Amino acid sequence: MIELDALSKRYGDFDAVRGLTLRVAPGEVYALLGANGAGKTTALRCLATLLKPTGGTARIGGFDVRTQPLEVRRRLGFLAASMGLYARLTARELLRYFARLQEVPPGQVEGRVDEVVERFGIAPFADRLCGRLSTGQRQRVSVARAVVHDPPALVLDEPTLGLDVLSGEAIYAFVAAARERGRAVLFSTHQMDEVELLADRVGIIAAGRMVEEGTTAEIVARSGEPSLARAFLRIAREAA
Amino acid sequence: MMRWSAAWTVLRKELRETLRDRRTMVMMVVVPTLLYPAILVFMEQLALFGQRQLTAEPAAVAVAGAEPPLVAFLARDSAIRVLPADSATPAAVRDGAAEAAVVLSPARDPAAPREVRVLFDATSDRSRRAQEVARDRLDAWGDTLLAQRLRGAGLPESVARPLAVADSSVATAEQAGGYALGRFLPLILVMMTLLGAFYPAIDLAAGEKERGTLETLLTAPVPAREIVAGKFAAVALIGLAAASVNLLSMLLTFQSGVFRFAQAAGIRFALPWHSALLVLLALVPLSILFAAVFLGIAVRSQSFKEAQNALTPAQLASTLPVIVVTLPGIDFTPALAMVPVVGVAMFFRELMTGSPALLPSVLAIAATAAYAALALGFAARAFGREEVLFGGGSGRAPGGGWGERLRAWRTGGRGVPLPAEALVFIAVLALLYFHLGARLQAEWGERGLLVSQWGLLGLAAVAFATLGPYDARKTLALRPPAPRALLAAVLIALGGIPLGWLIGWVQVRLFAPDLQGLQALEQLLRATDAQRAMWLLFLAALTPAVCEELVFRGVLLQSLGRELRPWRAIALSAAVFGAFHLSFESALRFLPTLWIGLLMATVVWHSRSIFASMVMHFTNNALVVLMLWSPRLRGLALDGEDPRWAVVLAGAAALAAGLWLLPRRADAAGPAEGAPAAVPAPAWAGPQPNPGDA
Repeated sequence: MIELDALSKRYGDFDAVRGLTLRVAPGEVYALLGANGAGKTTALRCLATLLKPTGGTARIGGFDVRTQPLEVRRRLGFLAASMGLYARLTARELLRYFARLQEVPPGQVEGRVDEVVERFGIAPFADRLCGRLSTGQRQRVSVARAVVHDPPALVLDEPTLGLDVLSGEAIYAFVAAARERGRAVLFSTHQMDEVELLADRVGIIAAGRMVEEGTTAEIVARSGEPSLARAFLRIAREAA
Repeated sequence: MMRWSAAWTVLRKELRETLRDRRTMVMMVVVPTLLYPAILVFMEQLALFGQRQLTAEPAAVAVAGAEPPLVAFLARDSAIRVLPADSATPAAVRDGAAEAAVVLSPARDPAAPREVRVLFDATSDRSRRAQEVARDRLDAWGDTLLAQRLRGAGLPESVARPLAVADSSVATAEQAGGYALGRFLPLILVMMTLLGAFYPAIDLAAGEKERGTLETLLTAPVPAREIVAGKFAAVALIGLAAASVNLLSMLLTFQSGVFRFAQAAGIRFALPWHSALLVLLALVPLSILFAAVFLGIAVRSQSFKEAQNALTPAQLASTLPVIVVTLPGIDFTPALAMVPVVGVAMFFRELMTGSPALLPSVLAIAATAAYAALALGFAARAFGREEVLFGGGSGRAPGGGWGERLRAWRTGGRGVPLPAEALVFIAVLALLYFHLGARLQAEWGERGLLVSQWGLLGLAAVAFATLGPYDARKTLALRPPAPRALLAAVLIALGGIPLGWLIGWVQVRLFAPDLQGLQALEQLLRATDAQRAMWLLFLAALTPAVCEELVFRGVLLQSLGRELRPWRAIALSAAVFGAFHLSFESALRFLPTLWIGLLMATVVWHSRSIFASMVMHFTNNALVVLMLWSPRLRGLALDGEDPRWAVVLAGAAALAAGLWLLPRRADAAGPAEGAPAAVPAPAWAGPQPNPGDA
């Protein structure tokens, strides 16, 4: 469902992503690990059609991000690290707005909005302006916004960044549910515990390259370290 | 294919958000409907209060040299308090001891007029008022004396007034009101349309980027142009609404009859409904223009603050020229109608006065609509570009203090300068040339010009290219031209120059400008002997051919060429070259200079040799010097002030031959980023030159 094949992104003389290859199948959760500046966000932005790859390909549902960006976006739920909520719209208005932009048929917009409001526990604050929501509430609205059109692929850039444990739990539950519903989920994070909890496979990137890939157990075993956190530290240091 | 439903969705959302924004609503509704009328009424009251204060007490006027009857006449006047003669001095008036002083010369010859001087301080309102009162009473006293003398001579008073002149305006009170409205309301309407669009444009573009919502929005399956269309429509509607509310509020305020000055002057403010509708109609393209320009600039900024900074010059550039509508003697000509913003403001003025001419009115609306379409393209292009969204992306732009930036610049070797670096360099040169160069030329004359050219342009360009982290040979295009390229350059120059004369001639025909500036320049360049001609060839032809070429076809063109498509780099460098030659004396030099700049840049781009354009530049300027020196040579090229059509046609042929002969550059497609598939053939394959470039 989600495919990166030798993806590269170059800014002038700086290589942000170098030949990155990975695949996420339907019903699979893939965690992308990397230090700050490793190229995670750049790779995810390429998948979201926000950046044009300078080499290789990125596809979602078989559609190329460069040549078929609209098709890609129709099949993608993208959550940026910045959340991206409109402060002067209520949560419900925002969900309605994106449902329309995501081409949900007019007759189904309210139904879809009600569904995600229910699923993410937004109802108590659905009619409050987004600018007055707490961080946890905002993140729930952001995730609801990303999936309001029920996409088969989800790309989440640090979805639990800045959240407390309870709000983080809601995101974990959502990712687990998405896997059960057969969605392909690719997320970036710095939280090792959520990787261990959620990810079927893990990719570690450093300086734009994939330096390790496998299940959590495989990566830990290959590194000879006792935990994923220690394994990541070792791999990241060796790659630096 | 545009899907209007997506644009409509974006528009509705943007309007909803904007209407919830207190700041925008205050600007759009509260300020015009409450604040402006209140300010206007308050200002009038303040003016009346000031007037009352001025007239509350009699003017203190010192009188010297007057006979008792005149002093008594003045003293009887309640508006005057007569001060003794010792206060009738400039020092007393300056110190405020007397508000004005009347000094009469001794009466000698009764047949001759007697000199009466009224001293006052032009910087003091009280003194000016005292002067007016004194002057008025002295005139009355003069009339009294005249009447006495006429009676003494047995003549009727009408002998001294063979003509009884009285003014009578045929304008109705409404027309007079329209005239007054037309002098200031257009400026307010333009400003309000602009301000109405200003903050929404920033908020909907840079603000959205700053808040991270644009990134989310652009992952929806909606093409950038549809998002732009929705946002742009929202900004334009808000600007239009703001201007309409202002118009309505102003008209209601003026028509309310609260203004005493209008009553006193016999003015009635009224705008016929059909004129008001036309004003609203003209506000539509104006709103579109501002919305598109502001969105296009704002979306290229990374934050609200950055957008404010970027938009402020555009705001000033849009409003300051509109002051033209308040000036007397400015007619609504077709040429003025096509000036952005000014044209439509003039149209407003004419509508309010009640007599808009059809052709300029149509031109003003059509030109504004055309500019708006161009600006819309400018805005739309930015939305889909990742470097605009993420500010270049690499995140490796030098930050920190100026020292750090300078070090980063010095160590970042890059072949030729970045366009921004070159433009900053040119801007600094222009400032130096304007302030220091002008002073040098005023002080030292021709030697000052020589120092300015070599010191402020030529050497500066060489220093910039060699001291910066650049390859000086590439930056200055220091490469010998191929013989064929050189031949092509000469042909293009010789062919293009007569067409430049044609451009100048057409400008003169169209705009009938004041040619005094150009004539003065011609006088300076007119040689009287061979020695002087040689000096002028060195000063006005060779020197700029070397110095200006190093700057404009060297540093500027080469740097623009690294990131822009060739035709854009050529056009932009020529426009900057033309602007550099604008002067207070005459704007007529811009187009001919632009034209020769286009030709020279084209030749340098393809030949990669600055020497080719130096030859062209020298040829152009030398021809001016030689033609001014030799009337015979001038007669060959020009028929009086008109171009000889045979010469122009021959020039066109030579230009075409030169362009055909010019070797094409292998990488003519331009830089890697966003390069076109092939080099565009110069669309201006008909040439012209530049008599004013010398």
